[in-house]
Amino acid sequence: MNSLADRIDALLPQTQCEQCGYHGCRPYAEAIAAGEAAINQCPPGGSAGIARLAALLGRPALPLDPARGVEKPRMLARIVEADCIGCTKCIQACPVDAIVGAAKLMHTVIADDCTGCELCVPACPVDCIVLEPMPAAQAGDPLHADAARRHFQRREARLARERAERDAELAARKAAVDTPATPSNPVLAALARARAKQQGKTP
Amino acid sequence: MDEPLAVEVVLALPDRQLLRRVTLPAGATVADAIAASGLAHDCPGLVDPDRAGIFSRRVTPQQAVRTGDRIELYRPLALDPKEARRRRAGG
Repeated sequence: MNSLADRIDALLPQTQCEQCGYHGCRPYAEAIAAGEAAINQCPPGGSAGIARLAALLGRPALPLDPARGVEKPRMLARIVEADCIGCTKCIQACPVDAIVGAAKLMHTVIADDCTGCELCVPACPVDCIVLEPMPAAQAGDPLHADAARRHFQRREARLARERAERDAELAARKAAVDTPATPSNPVLAALARARAKQQGKTP
Repeated sequence: MDEPLAVEVVLALPDRQLLRRVTLPAGATVADAIAASGLAHDCPGLVDPDRAGIFSRRVTPQQAVRTGDRIELYRPLALDPKEARRRRAGG
């Protein structure tokens, strides 16, 4: 079962950089499949990526939309450990869980998992993330792209689960506060009985 | 509920990041996962089960793990954040 969006997604670099204007490669693939997005919105895919999309979709290749960014060699993020303050902002920004760390502890990029999306760079309040060239073997490796896709999906699923858990907890708390008088609350039940009696007396 | 648990244990060093996939019996804890990873043996002095987390949330060694968890072993900061701020402000 390979949908058109699947086949488009397979051609995207899985950087998850959002330069296309969508929340990751998969949403962009779905937008192209739905005819809502052009095929020239992916700077990391570059002209070669646009040519592949054009061939798949039987459309003419277009130059990269300059409003989306410029095509350049893929990069990897690295944290300058001397300056890291352990704020977790980069971890929250990383779309593929490629940064290991927790509050007030050292943050470290897993180089093999980094897609070079650069989303962590503006997130860092102390400018301690530098970009270095991605090894050519990693940049062109379809297995690396597959891993990035899995890591993105894993993160999206986890965040959705955490949101659902939070919402359920809030709803449960709200329900507990809003619960009307029930027999399980003896004081309120007695009040309700008294009120019913009173109303019964008045003609 | 007796399915085996598949988790990852990661120790990230500046120049190399060690990620081990381990399978554990149901009911296993963070401490079990760390022990099964063998990272403490391979990187003596760098593994402290009391300084661990799952996807950047601190956990205790006694916490039960779930399939898909990434148990992360943390290292201390190189610099005290307050000192770093003072340095930046002064510099």
